[in-house]
Amino acid sequence: MTDQSHPVVSARGLTKRYRDVLAADGVEFELEPGTITGFLGPNGAGKTTILRMLLGLVQPTVGEALVVGHRYLELEQPARRVGAVLESDDFDPGRSARNHLRALALAIGASRGRVQEMLELVELEASANRLVRTYSLGMRQRLGLAAALLGEPELLLLDEPANGLDPAGVHWLRGFLRRFADQGGTVLIASHVLAEIAQTVDQVVIIDGGRLIATVRLDELADSPHSLEGLYLELTAKASA
Amino acid sequence: MKALFRAELLKQRTTRTMLQLPLWMVGLVVLVVLLHVVGFSVHDLGSRDYQLKVFGWGTGVGSLFAALLGALSITGEIRHGTIRPTFLATPRRERVIAAKVAASAFGGLALGLLAEALAAAVSSAGLAVRGVHVALSGGDFVQLLAGGAVGAALWAAIGTGIGAVVRNQVGAVVGLCVWLLVIETSLIGSVSSVAKFAPGASAGALAGAIQAQGATNLLAPALGALLLVVYASLATAAGSIAITRRDVT
Ligand SMILES: Nc1ncnc2c1ncn2[C@@H]1O[C@H](COP(=O)(O)OP(=O)(O)OP(=O)(O)O)[C@@H](O)[C@H]1O
Ligand SMILES: [Mg+2]
Repeated sequence: MTDQSHPVVSARGLTKRYRDVLAADGVEFELEPGTITGFLGPNGAGKTTILRMLLGLVQPTVGEALVVGHRYLELEQPARRVGAVLESDDFDPGRSARNHLRALALAIGASRGRVQEMLELVELEASANRLVRTYSLGMRQRLGLAAALLGEPELLLLDEPANGLDPAGVHWLRGFLRRFADQGGTVLIASHVLAEIAQTVDQVVIIDGGRLIATVRLDELADSPHSLEGLYLELTAKASA
Repeated sequence: MKALFRAELLKQRTTRTMLQLPLWMVGLVVLVVLLHVVGFSVHDLGSRDYQLKVFGWGTGVGSLFAALLGALSITGEIRHGTIRPTFLATPRRERVIAAKVAASAFGGLALGLLAEALAAAVSSAGLAVRGVHVALSGGDFVQLLAGGAVGAALWAAIGTGIGAVVRNQVGAVVGLCVWLLVIETSLIGSVSSVAKFAPGASAGALAGAIQAQGATNLLAPALGALLLVVYASLATAAGSIAITRRDVT
């Protein structure tokens, strides 16, 4: 999929200032292909801002964000290389799920067959013709995932994608991400559910107050579900002290 | 670019607000035209200028709804957050705006044609009921229909650009309505020598309609068309620049 020697994501001194708030402050990290990385940090730490800078939606004040070796804006067919779930409700309530995906598929050059495949993958095919207005939170989350996967990307950037998913959905997502990474795909997943993260990811990147405070490989932790929580609380307490 | 255009057309016809626009437009055209046919005296209605003014309401209303179509195509995405997946699929935002302008112009052309055809039909029927002879030539009808359609298409581009600059849906819709229905109509009544160069009056000129209170003549159709193209280009450029510079949060 990706050249093994190059990082799939590299944040180079990413800094974003919104008026008086420093949402990100010189954040540096790189992600290797085939890995799943948890993106952790307290509310307002800057996770969403950094994901949006990686995706070209927000312009960094200073620094550079590279995905699959390029700035997102310079990728010719970005959705074919990078998929993202940013908010749980980025849909027109008066449009059906199928039409939402069809419009995106046209824009990225994916086939109608691919739309159907994705609806089946996220188990929405039975309600695909209903307006999104009638969807539950978990159904919207599934639709967002279907949209992210439409272009068969090699990198997934997910902002709290499990929010609202039922236990079966969470289990499915975990398995899906594992298979995705085993086939060489790379995932960066922001979440607050540490137990969930501990079961899914290879490493975590922890930020607080816009700054990177730690990058930890989970195989370096002993009893990971518990020690991740302990480590997280310890590091974020220290950072804000 | 063609794929993006098709994507925008699909969005246009798969959302409820967009599908309701033609219905509101039909209602407004019928209402305005009937009010005029009933309100003017038989003597006034007999003159060609008055008839052009009544028939020409199709162009005014068609342009307004085309502008709303364009504005909603972008402000709706901002309001509902679909702008995020849209820009992830096409990060060169000026391409998104170009596709929206093209799709809205296409829809606007249809709205303008529908509005002017309906205005012509309702006016003709109304005049017949009041026993007034239609003083317009075949050429007048052709100009009303073609000018109304093209004028509305260009107004759709203006609406898209304004929507991309304003971003707020209610703000853009109210602004366009106030501009076309209040500001331009009062300007053309008071300072028509300047107001005839305004974008709404330019669309009227293109269609050969007469919009002024005192039936003042508008610009020559070709000049109206040229001015509208300039306005549409400026609005599109301003929209592209504004949307490209702002963060999408
Ligand atoms: N558009 C904006 N304008 C001003 N400030 C902003 C904007 N977006 C984010 N911020 C600020 O930037 C900081 C980081 O916010 P961000 O949304 O990136 O945090 P987060 O880590 O995703 O938090 P959460 O876990 O609550 O989702 C916060 O202080 C927030 O208030
Ligand atoms: Mg967030």
